[in-house]
Amino acid sequence: MKSYLLWLPLFLLPLVVHDNVVLTVLVFSFILGILAVSFNLIFGFAGQLSLFHAAAFGLSAYATYLSMVHWSIPFWLGLVVGVVFVALVSVVIGAICFRFKLKEFYFAIVTLAFSEIARLVILNWNSFTNGSLGINFTVTPTLWVPGRGVIPVQGTVMWYYLTLVAVVLTVIVCSRIVHSWMGRCFASIRLNDELADTLGINVFRYKLISFVVGNAGAAVAGSLYAFYISFIDPDYLSINQSLAIIAMALLGGRDSVAAPVVGAFVLTALPHVINVNAEARLLIYGLILILTILLMPRGIVGSLMRLRRAA
Amino acid sequence: MLQLVVGQLLNGVIVGTLYAIIALGVTLTFGITGIVNFALGAFMMLGAYITWYLTDGIGVPYPLAVPLAVLCVALLGLAVDQALFRFTRNNLINGLIVSIGLISVLVAIVLMIWTTTPQSMHYVLPGIFRIGGVIVPKMKAVVFIVLLLVILLTYASLTRTWAGRAAYAYAQNPEAAALMGVRTGVLQAGVAAYSTALAGLGGALYASLYSIAPEIGASYILKGVEAAILAGIGSVVGSLVGGIIIGVAEGVGSIFLPSAYNDAYGLIFLVLILLFKPAGLFGSKS
Repeated sequence: MKSYLLWLPLFLLPLVVHDNVVLTVLVFSFILGILAVSFNLIFGFAGQLSLFHAAAFGLSAYATYLSMVHWSIPFWLGLVVGVVFVALVSVVIGAICFRFKLKEFYFAIVTLAFSEIARLVILNWNSFTNGSLGINFTVTPTLWVPGRGVIPVQGTVMWYYLTLVAVVLTVIVCSRIVHSWMGRCFASIRLNDELADTLGINVFRYKLISFVVGNAGAAVAGSLYAFYISFIDPDYLSINQSLAIIAMALLGGRDSVAAPVVGAFVLTALPHVINVNAEARLLIYGLILILTILLMPRGIVGSLMRLRRAA
Repeated sequence: MLQLVVGQLLNGVIVGTLYAIIALGVTLTFGITGIVNFALGAFMMLGAYITWYLTDGIGVPYPLAVPLAVLCVALLGLAVDQALFRFTRNNLINGLIVSIGLISVLVAIVLMIWTTTPQSMHYVLPGIFRIGGVIVPKMKAVVFIVLLLVILLTYASLTRTWAGRAAYAYAQNPEAAALMGVRTGVLQAGVAAYSTALAGLGGALYASLYSIAPEIGASYILKGVEAAILAGIGSVVGSLVGGIIIGVAEGVGSIFLPSAYNDAYGLIFLVLILLFKPAGLFGSKS
């Protein structure tokens, strides 16, 4: 319960800090945090390196927008369409991968293949998705706020609270899962899935649950992200996006539920703190991946916890 | 129509050997160090850039620039192996992530030095062969023969020399190999460097055929991994056949199927292979 209190200052922050850049960086950190936390449910807890996460992120963004435009439904219903769509796709892909007992590298490669196929479809289905040019949004989500009725979501502060609530909810849902008997099943699968199988754990079912729930989290992040920047293009589904997610989860720490949010924050804030060009950013990003794996395998949060325990 | 098909077939075979040289590196690295080095594509890109810089920038003759570029890439590969991959041996996930980080670093360095503008080398060997109406550029024929020779020589040295047999032995049973006097650290570093050298050679030859850009490595490593898996990871001749299958399928497929989804066909094929014949087309054990 104590760890939830750590979120409290973030709720009070906009009352003190009015700097738009700081708040914008935090909004991006929260949205990408949702993505990284949900990825870590599959990778850090169930032990499956999925490279489908960027595809779930992008597919949901497209599904939400296109369903809103074609069926003229509000954003929140569109978000549900996006999440359900991604969940259904994930059930199919997950069922294929886990039924055929694909592990480690082979699972990564097959999810990467499906992710690339999804990207190619989005890229080439010009009449529906506007291809590589992407789509500029003309609609904004609306929200019912007590006392003010239904108003459009605009302005950094409103997005700040919306995404902060979303990331807190994601962390709560994931930690409820991880700290339940289901989380124990995930751990046993991660550590030794053959042993888990002989102990009577339904390996297929729990791998599938982690994959579908994780991708559903990515779907929420995708829709929020798309409507925050009001633009989508096929790069949402790119391999680089998947790699960025892995980097966030690893950098934050894969052993804890909320730690990937820290990773998302550091990787989002870094380019603003040290002002460098795109090439140097790529270099730094690569070095972070390498050095985290070699020097800090437990991530920032894991290393801090160890320091505190040692002190 | 027949000419078109035959032309695409030949073209596919030649591109396929480029895939195969990457696939061979992937297979060797995986067999000996237990990781899949995705950075081989980036090493290939680096080989292409170094060759281009040596010939068009400094004026080194192409036949000399190729071995020089291969040497540079191999040395860098050795350094990277000792500095990074030595610590991720047999840890697939960590190795994968380190190699992905390495791609970013190498691409960023190339971007800083040579920018994003694609570069094309001057024609090394102009002219074409005309075989019954089918046109094959001379340089493509040379590239094909060089790559084929290197792959076959690699196969021969793996089966005929002491070091090659040591590598095979190590792949089958590391502990037994070590007990028989195989110096495993040296073997792993050597194979890692040799794999990057192969990728560098692929890049050096690629530069003479197509224009080069920092992102060329990405599609080649994907095709290389596809080719390696297709044939069953661990087989040298298999990676050659796997590469040629993918090259030909793409070349001939582009005549009959919408080419926008060109890359998707290979991926679908790969997924099917992994699901129904995980040991690869030529693998025996399931």
